[in-house]
Amino acid sequence: MGSHKSTNMPSMRSLRLSRRSLLVSVVAMGLEAALPGRARGASTVRVGMIPDAGGTQVSIDQKKPLRDYLAGKLGRDVELVIPTNYNATVEALGNGSLDFAYLGGLTYVKAHARYGVVPLVQRAGDRRFHSLFITQRASAIHALRDLRGKKFAFGDINSTSGHLMPYYAMLKAGLDPERDLTYRYTGNHPATAKAVEAAVVDAGALDESVYRAMIDGGQLDKTKLRVFFTTPPFVDYVWVARKDVPADDQRTFADAFLALREPRQAPILEILRGSSFVRATDDEYLTLRMVANKLQLL
Amino acid sequence: MTLFVPDVSAAYLRDLIVPVGETIGMAAAGMFVAFALGIPIAVAIGTRAPGFRLLVAALSSLRAIPDLTLAILAVVIVGLGPGAGVVALALFYTAMVGRVYADLFLTAERAPLEALRATGASRVAIAAFGLLPLTMSDLLTFGSYAFECAMRASIIVGAVGGGGLGTELVGSLNALAYHRVLTLILVLVALVAIVDRFGALVRRTPRLGLLLVPVGLISLWLNRPGLFSFAHALGVFGGMLPPALRLPEVAALPALIAQTLGMALGGTLLGAVLAFPTSPAAAQRIAPPALALLLRRIFDVARAIPELVWGLVLVVSIGTGPFAGAIALGLHSAGVLGKLYAESFENAPVAPIAALASTGARTLPIVAFGFVPLALGPLVVHTLFRLEWNVRAAAIVGMIGAGGIGQALYQAQQLFFYREMLAYVLVTWGLVALSDWLGERLRLRLGWRFVASG
Repeated sequence: MGSHKSTNMPSMRSLRLSRRSLLVSVVAMGLEAALPGRARGASTVRVGMIPDAGGTQVSIDQKKPLRDYLAGKLGRDVELVIPTNYNATVEALGNGSLDFAYLGGLTYVKAHARYGVVPLVQRAGDRRFHSLFITQRASAIHALRDLRGKKFAFGDINSTSGHLMPYYAMLKAGLDPERDLTYRYTGNHPATAKAVEAAVVDAGALDESVYRAMIDGGQLDKTKLRVFFTTPPFVDYVWVARKDVPADDQRTFADAFLALREPRQAPILEILRGSSFVRATDDEYLTLRMVANKLQLL
Repeated sequence: MTLFVPDVSAAYLRDLIVPVGETIGMAAAGMFVAFALGIPIAVAIGTRAPGFRLLVAALSSLRAIPDLTLAILAVVIVGLGPGAGVVALALFYTAMVGRVYADLFLTAERAPLEALRATGASRVAIAAFGLLPLTMSDLLTFGSYAFECAMRASIIVGAVGGGGLGTELVGSLNALAYHRVLTLILVLVALVAIVDRFGALVRRTPRLGLLLVPVGLISLWLNRPGLFSFAHALGVFGGMLPPALRLPEVAALPALIAQTLGMALGGTLLGAVLAFPTSPAAAQRIAPPALALLLRRIFDVARAIPELVWGLVLVVSIGTGPFAGAIALGLHSAGVLGKLYAESFENAPVAPIAALASTGARTLPIVAFGFVPLALGPLVVHTLFRLEWNVRAAAIVGMIGAGGIGQALYQAQQLFFYREMLAYVLVTWGLVALSDWLGERLRLRLGWRFVASG
């Protein structure tokens, strides 16, 4: 994992380089060689988690068990990086500043297409994941068709369970979100839940595991909310490796997750909001890819 | 919301040491580069070096890119981490320092400069013995203001790169850990207050400003980029060309622009409405010292919290959308304008006020017929500057769902529609350039040039 040289330079483009950009690139390559492999030591493994992972506390103190566990299995220092947006995470996989990352389904599809990231493992539940549509307990909304004319909240535009699949479910129910209702993006699942709880919007759609974790953790008042629709299952989150990570490291990383068991690694599984992990493959994402294409998100 | 009890447990505060250090380091390193590059650029523009118009154009285009977008673009080049934050801050504040310092140089007294030039002095000599000493106090005032802005901005850009207080703040907001959010906001307020105090010290003893050199260099080394991936960046940036919008997106543009401008106007108006009636009571010449001090602290808190963070906090209570965006801009603006208005009242000429007071007038009439008319010029200029600033800020709060061009830009970026993203950057650039130009025209008409807008 020592090398971080990008292999993504399109050859056609480089042919069209002018003399000046050639000079710039020579200087740049020199800089690239002169800089230390990675600021925190070339052997440090850098692991990124997308903001969706932040349904529970992503604070520094609570990341420690996961980091220590991975460092033990990999036999190297691990740095957990939690960027606050999807785009930066994927670009970091592209230029080698992240080695492994946790991505949502749609983000994975994009990252795979752009930079060939390799799917490794996912929670057992991620193969049959659901989005929940929630509303206030006393509201008159009981089915998707009742959303007509209402104010609705999605999470992040790049979120599978907070945007893509709920949007698709509405279309399937004969509802055109562009025409039949007004909607907003809150940016993340917890904000969607809170917006519905505070009745800032009439309803919203979010990730089932975040919703459950928030109810269990007392961060949501379950007497105020009601789930009125659950989407059909779809495949969502996945841990991936950068294309150039050596196969041995990819295997060790995947095995570390597959070996997670309750109750021994309960604190780690709690951070990951799951109970066990299974292997992930690219084939699982065919349907998602089709839906994303249909909604012009690819 | 149980936002009102901060988490001040020893364990949490200890955990915050590293993020606080990263945030300060990013700001110090970014500003070091900004001064090191910005001052020579400003001198080149100020002495009308060949090609200076091109430099001016380059600086204003950089300033038009929201710092959050710059941070993500920096990730493309130097990878995730505080290094990306430093690059983004350095770019943004080089443009800001360069542009404002150039303005100061261009409006410096001409006679001493002409005298210097007559001796055949080089550009460097004119700068060292003419421009810099002539404008020193304004340079320092704006310099410390820019540093304060950079400290706030390093929260935002840090969050993208995965470092500093920003990551912690966004994580805590996502986790609805409001007691920690409050702790973090208090830490931010304290940091900004320290920068403010240090800026005042530097204005009195300019030599202290040289401290930025060792601190900046060390921070730069500690936060140096982990990698430099030129090939990757070339591929990504090449993919942004040519900028393009699809037909429905073009059709939606006018509404988006209206939302952005509406947020900027609404936010500025709200800020002015909140600040105007309260600011006289924050001036020690007018109000009892205890009251003035209390109000100043309240303004400081409102000001220390960046628009984006106000927006993030407000999402939960009033949701997202242009209205929430305007409120976020308004609350930050109220803090800024409150402080500036109060300072304008403090600086009002003494004699007319004394004359008014000698008639036996009470406080309210003295304010209404003395301070307000006397300070009207600066009050208007400060408000206009805030409006210009808020056009840019409206693009930034758009990114957290407030709508407008900012939201469109952010969504295009998040979906990797880079050609659309570049198109929206260009639209933002046009809006910011237009508002800068209009503001300048208005200020010239009012006979005012630069005022350090803090």
